Amino acid sequence: SSTDSHIQYERVGADVTMKCGSMDRDATVTWTANGTDIDDSHLNGSYLVLKHVDLTQSGQYSCYEGSSWHLKYQTYLRVGLPPKEPVLMCRSNNYPKGFYCSWHLPSPTYIPNSFNISVIHGTREMICERDILPKNRCHIRYLQLFSTVKYKVTLTVTNALGKNSTTLTFDEFTIVKPDPPENVVAKPVPNNPRRLEVSWQNPSSWPDPESFPLKFFLRYRPLILDQWQHVELSDGTSHTITDAYAGKEYIIQVAAKDNDIGTWSDWSVAVHATPWMEEPKHLTTEAQMTETTSTSTSSFMPPPTTKICDRGARVGSGAVAVCWTAGLVLAAYSVFFI
Amino acid sequence: GDSWGIFAFLCAALCHLPAVPALNGTDELGAGQSIQKTYDLTRYLEHQLRTLAGTYLNYLGPPFNEPDFNPPRLARAERVPSATVDLELWRGLTDNARLAANYRAYSRLLCYLRGLDGQAGTAELRHSLGHFCSSLQGLVVSIAGVMSSLGYPLPAGTAAGPPAPAGTPATPNDFLKKMDDFWLLKELQTWLWRSAKDFNRLKKKVPPAVVTLRLEARGF
Repeated sequence: SSTDSHIQYERVGADVTMKCGSMDRDATVTWTANGTDIDDSHLNGSYLVLKHVDLTQSGQYSCYEGSSWHLKYQTYLRVGLPPKEPVLMCRSNNYPKGFYCSWHLPSPTYIPNSFNISVIHGTREMICERDILPKNRCHIRYLQLFSTVKYKVTLTVTNALGKNSTTLTFDEFTIVKPDPPENVVAKPVPNNPRRLEVSWQNPSSWPDPESFPLKFFLRYRPLILDQWQHVELSDGTSHTITDAYAGKEYIIQVAAKDNDIGTWSDWSVAVHATPWMEEPKHLTTEAQMTETTSTSTSSFMPPPTTKICDRGARVGSGAVAVCWTAGLVLAAYSVFFI
Repeated sequence: GDSWGIFAFLCAALCHLPAVPALNGTDELGAGQSIQKTYDLTRYLEHQLRTLAGTYLNYLGPPFNEPDFNPPRLARAERVPSATVDLELWRGLTDNARLAANYRAYSRLLCYLRGLDGQAGTAELRHSLGHFCSSLQGLVVSIAGVMSSLGYPLPAGTAAGPPAPAGTPATPNDFLKKMDDFWLLKELQTWLWRSAKDFNRLKKKVPPAVVTLRLEARGF
């Protein structure tokens, strides 16, 4: 016996009627869904009727002749949605080489979609080469620079249940947006408790910083405050912050922009740094007085209290005074670190 | 260590300055500064144009003032010099060619701009146009200054007088005239963006020449 086997796409909420191949309307048949028999209530003679289908009803449907149990018809039902208007974005992070466009659907369709992108520049249609990864992306090389004619990019998404499209029209200069600066490094400056030296590199995707120089925007703040401070730098890839609060940890970010056209990049990865601090000498002598065995590797580590006071309690009242001093010193330390 | 070497060299160079034969040294120094000035002027003009173009396009009315307006280029519009250029060609331009292209373009753009409808819109608009033309004139003069300080001849046939477009009859069609105005402003805007890049390139190339010349003079 012959069997028809194919894929059938239906819209969520639709009413689906399946015929058992060439069988008569009033023939006796059994339908299964993914191997499980389907109740007779869904049958209209030999037709299978599914009302208001939902996503869970996707699967393989088979129809068997009543007595012989021959497979008469088989189909794979995929329930889905027609595509909504896609979201399209185009950007030049490698000016003047070209630009790329990337897209996605705002909500899933649950069935396979195909995308077609067209780029028109004046009268000429340009090829946008599809990237392998990421998937929904293509790139174009500029053939001419400083064009007065806009680029018109149309993205069409199609699936078995419908199609939709969106169009972007833009000038060459408006989509220029570099990637964020790379390799941002912030270091304290020895013997300078209010300085931090920040350096970074041009984003590696920017092909020609000589002819198309970038300018930068630096922002920084101590972790404990919400307010950022900003510096705009038209030259160079380093800057020294000279007004940092002593001893406070800072968070620093940098952004880049072509000197003349386009928009600012996203902020770079944040780096943290604390300005140089002088080692507080008076605290090490206090530690020696309490003859603590726990030698701290850094003078910022407070000596453990319990040992001092325990020893002090055993020895006598004199040691209690030492215990109090250590406690005061610790209290002073904690205030300093808040 | 490096900075001390450079400092010492500079001191030596400056001390021996009178002994160095005149090699248009001050001209090159002057060129470096006037390239920077010209660059700054293009940025200023680009900023001014943004406001001016918005106002003028509103005066022209729809569809010219619609942001997505993207008309095909008509053959007649080719009179206006285009900034569009092949990438490799642009990169390979000599300093002379680069400057000359800018000089020719702005001279002609200035002419056309002056020819814009004298009765255009409000008095305020006419005043803004006049002010912009003066600034643009300043740019043309500035470029000429850079060219002469570098020893390049000014391109021929770009005298101040506006060349009456030979053979082209006065536009009877109001729409086509507006289209011409639209493209003029568009080309002007694009040229100002391009010039920023042109002068960036020139900026990088001129200052090192100053140092090299002095080295040669002292027989290094």
